[in-house]
Amino acid sequence: MTVRETIENKDIALIDILDVILDKGVAIKGDLIISIAGVDLVYLDLRVLISSVETLVQHKQGTRKIINSEQFDRDREALDHAAAEPDEWSHQR
Amino acid sequence: MGDLLYLYGLIPTNEATHPLPSVKGFDGEHEIFMLPNEDVTAIVCHLDHAAYSEETISDKINNDMEWLQEKAFHHHETVQQLTKQFTIVPLKFCTLYKNEESLRETVEKNKAKLSETFALLDGNEEWNLKIYCDDEQIKQQVSESNPVIKAKRDEISALPRGRQFFEKKKMDELINQELEDEKNRFCENIHEKLKNVSLYGSIKKTWGKDVTGRKEKMAWNSVFLLPSPNVEQFLGNVEQYEGEFEETGWKFEVSGPWPPYHFSSFS
Repeated sequence: MTVRETIENKDIALIDILDVILDKGVAIKGDLIISIAGVDLVYLDLRVLISSVETLVQHKQGTRKIINSEQFDRDREALDHAAAEPDEWSHQR
Repeated sequence: MGDLLYLYGLIPTNEATHPLPSVKGFDGEHEIFMLPNEDVTAIVCHLDHAAYSEETISDKINNDMEWLQEKAFHHHETVQQLTKQFTIVPLKFCTLYKNEESLRETVEKNKAKLSETFALLDGNEEWNLKIYCDDEQIKQQVSESNPVIKAKRDEISALPRGRQFFEKKKMDELINQELEDEKNRFCENIHEKLKNVSLYGSIKKTWGKDVTGRKEKMAWNSVFLLPSPNVEQFLGNVEQYEGEFEETGWKFEVSGPWPPYHFSSFS
C-alpha cells in the first residue's frame, strides 16, 4: 500500500469531521464545543474506541445522558458497516 | 408546502455525465439527486420541512450527540464519495434551502464565482497537517540550549537566596516565551517548505487539549491545496520530517484527501 493509500484509508475522528463540516469549526469555544469537549467521545475514532467513558454531560441543560460502552460498540458496528459500504459508489474517476 | 432541500455540494454541469447511485440522503429515506442548472449542478436530497425546522436542527446539533455523530458521518461520507467522482464545491453541514427556486437563484447569482472556484479546484486536492509536540520535552531542550537562558541561569546562581526565588520565576516566564517562539519558528519553517510543493497553504486555528483529549499539545493546524501528482512528494516530505523530529518531541499527522471545504469557501 502506498503512503497515500495508508493515510486515505485511516479512520477519521469525529472531531476532525466536525471541525471541517460545521460552519464555525471546533476551535471556537461555544456551546457545541463544551458539550463534546472533555469527553472521550471527542476522540471517537472507529478503531480506537475509548470505552472507559460512562457519562456524557449535556452542557446546556445540565441533563445527564448515559452512554455506556455497549452503546459505543453498537454504534461503532453500525458506523463500521456504513463506512465499509461501497458497491453503490463503484463508479470512480 | 414543498420539501426542504439539503445541499451537499455543487459540481460543474458538464461533469454530470452519469447518474448518481441510489443512495439515501440525510433523513435516511429520501434519496440524493441532481438539480441541474445551465453551468452548475446541485447535489441534494429532500427533507420534510416539518421535521427539519431551523430550531429543531439547532436543538439537535447542540443537545443530541448521537444524532450529530450519525448525521455528521453521513454528510462526510456522502461528500467524500462525491469528491472522488467530481470537481465539487462542498457545502457545510445542514445547508438547507426552502425550495428549488431559492436554490437555483443562489446558484445563478454565484455563477461566476463558482466557475472560478471549479477552475481552482480541478485536478487539485485538499490535505490537512497537524503538528503536535511534547511541551515538556521541548521546554527542556530550550532551557538547556538557549544561550539567553543559560546566561540568565548563571546570573541567578550568583544571587542571594531571596533574590533567586523571584529571578527564577522570571526566568520561567522567559523560558515559556522562548518555548512558544521556538515552536512557532519550527512550525512556520515546516509550513513554508510544504507550501513549496503545494499551490496554497493556510494556517488554521489549533485546538486546545479539551477538544483533542490528548496529552500532547497541538502546535500547528494547517491545510494545503495541491495537484494530485504532487501528493506523493508532499507525503514523502512529511514522512521525512516525522523521522527527523520524532526524537525531539514532534508528531506530524496528515489527513486527506478532504473535500475542498477550506479552499472552496465563499458565502
